[in-house]
Amino acid sequence: MSVLARSVGNAFRNKVRTAAVVAVLAVAIGLALAMLVANQAVGAKVQELNASVGTVLTVNPAGGQGFEGGGEPLTADQAAAAAAVPNVSAVVGTSSLRLRNATEAAAQAAAGTQAGPGGQPGQGGGPGGQATATLTTSLTAAVDAGTLGNRNQQANGATGSSGSTGSTQPVRSLPITATGIGAQVDTTGKALNITGGSGLGDYSAASTNALLGTTLAQKNNLTVGSTFTINDQTYTVSGLFDAGTAFGNNAVYVTLPTAQALAGTPNELSSMIVTVNSMDNVASTKTALQTALGTDKADVTQGQNLQTAVSSLDSVKNISFIAFIAALGTAGLIILLIMVMLVRERRREIGVLKAIGAPNRTIGLQFVLEALVLAALGSAVGAAIASFASGGIASALISSNTTSAAATTGRGPGGAGGFPGGQGGPFGGASQLLNSVTASASPGVIAGGIAAVFGVAIIGALVPALLTARIRPIEVLRGE
Amino acid sequence: MIEVKNLVRTFNSGDRTIKPVNDVSFALEQGTLASIVGKSGSGKSTLLSLLGALDKPTSGDVVVNGVSLASMPDAKLTEYRRRDIGFVFQQFNLIPNLSAVDNVMLPLEFAGVRKAARLQRARELLEQVQLDPSKHERRINRLSGGEQQRVAIARALANEPKLILADEPTGNLDEQTGDHIIELLSSLSRDHNTTILVVTHDRALANKTDRRFRLQQGKLTEEPVRGRAAVAASA
Repeated sequence: MSVLARSVGNAFRNKVRTAAVVAVLAVAIGLALAMLVANQAVGAKVQELNASVGTVLTVNPAGGQGFEGGGEPLTADQAAAAAAVPNVSAVVGTSSLRLRNATEAAAQAAAGTQAGPGGQPGQGGGPGGQATATLTTSLTAAVDAGTLGNRNQQANGATGSSGSTGSTQPVRSLPITATGIGAQVDTTGKALNITGGSGLGDYSAASTNALLGTTLAQKNNLTVGSTFTINDQTYTVSGLFDAGTAFGNNAVYVTLPTAQALAGTPNELSSMIVTVNSMDNVASTKTALQTALGTDKADVTQGQNLQTAVSSLDSVKNISFIAFIAALGTAGLIILLIMVMLVRERRREIGVLKAIGAPNRTIGLQFVLEALVLAALGSAVGAAIASFASGGIASALISSNTTSAAATTGRGPGGAGGFPGGQGGPFGGASQLLNSVTASASPGVIAGGIAAVFGVAIIGALVPALLTARIRPIEVLRGE
Repeated sequence: MIEVKNLVRTFNSGDRTIKPVNDVSFALEQGTLASIVGKSGSGKSTLLSLLGALDKPTSGDVVVNGVSLASMPDAKLTEYRRRDIGFVFQQFNLIPNLSAVDNVMLPLEFAGVRKAARLQRARELLEQVQLDPSKHERRINRLSGGEQQRVAIARALANEPKLILADEPTGNLDEQTGDHIIELLSSLSRDHNTTILVVTHDRALANKTDRRFRLQQGKLTEEPVRGRAAVAASA
């Protein structure tokens, strides 16, 4: 009978006690593993958030954003200046256009209910270069105006007028946002998720290709290769993308020069998406960029609300890691105390083994192995507990820690034109990403956790095992 | 050959100092069967534990085949116990959750004997002490006192020690079984040239030994024996 066989036998010597010890260990180990899984899941999500938007800065004209506000437009020279700022790895310019359905625009103009470009923005004061960019298209918006759309349009279009004219307005369709982009990214700097066809190829050259949001294409019965018109010019659908939101999908992307040509503003940019080379340099680069461009010329913003989300996720990650260590320590302590108890209880037996010539290390090894048998059983049951509990524990941790963050980020994900331009994206994106943290017990993480448990079990058992060395063989005669 | 020189072991009990072994000296030739008799608490077990390196003497020395135990480090003492000493305890001190054969295999395992050889030797030893083969795989706590004592003797013999120390080996046994154990021990000393020292109350056993000592208040005195002839005749 080998040391191992004897250890296994000893572990089952008192079955009731073994079952009790294994049950207690399993709870501690299961908790440790669940915390580790939650930690990994949240860690992965934080990385994903950082990778997607964490290093992106958005530059808007000072005082303007999207189709709101005023000020002077950004220029190609400013894009070059931004690119020269240290730690900036990429600068992508965008040019936004608003598209109106041609037939509706014509009908509206004929009805004469409102003067101007269909009651669109601008009256509010000094359109920042975007006002001229309202164009006609053969496309119909994929989003129905609904209550919010009509309210927004009234607010925008009938500034200063009394409610009487508003009440006579016919139901309108929403405008479609067309964005000229200098790379295959959306207005928040995230890579476009192309679901069909291909990208636009060279984004720095004018072309008649366009990318359509999935719902917009569906609404207009368009597929890859179909054509549509903007200002009576024919464009071909080269690919479809999915932005993940109804608002985001009611959009068209063309190359930057195409959009600039359509708007008749060749050197102007609506915004710039600046990518910083690493997360650590974001803050300093933001300051440098602001200085380089001038505070009176440009507003540099960071996904602030996303930062809040990331930091709250980070705290969840830290909490779960501390809980993992604490649960692991508890498991170690349980093993330590159980083994100390066992060694005390079996003093005489240890004395016998020594009296018949067992070296200290053989006896120590026997007790360490016995502890490992208990740890192995506890781990097996604990892993089962963890695989059931980790999902619930992770979501409980996240929901309790991100309620405040979600309240600030949750604004306007539904879109419906509530806030036009680049703002809706990151807000909606953050809450969407938060919701999608899923904790699944991956075998690698569980294996790593169990390895840690065994490490702790060895340490926990080593102290009692060393105690056996101090038991003298004369113990064998005790009580005789 | 085992020589005991001025062996003293003292214990502190409260403010008193007890000397269960007080200046004991004797020598035993290899292959001698000797007995120590004495009243309960006269220090017999303490003396035995000193000879078997279970305990360290306060002063004095035990020299086994020219090697002094007093100066030996603990690791060497462990090796000495494993290789040169076989213990038979009064309360057997077998490992209760192991089978008879596993208990006998323990000292062999510590000595590094391969598994197949261990098993074979353990079975031989159990047959030698006349334990029924059907009981070899039985757990210790399912064996009777006499059977346990035989397993304990088989375990003591496992590594073919030069010295066997037995503490009341017949104390828990009926007369018949006791006689058998006595025969077994004396034949061992004859046939294997093993030195055997038994501590006993048992007159029958003491009378069959080559030399007889009496321990009284820590002092050892040798009593005259009728000679080995008598033992040989009865055996």
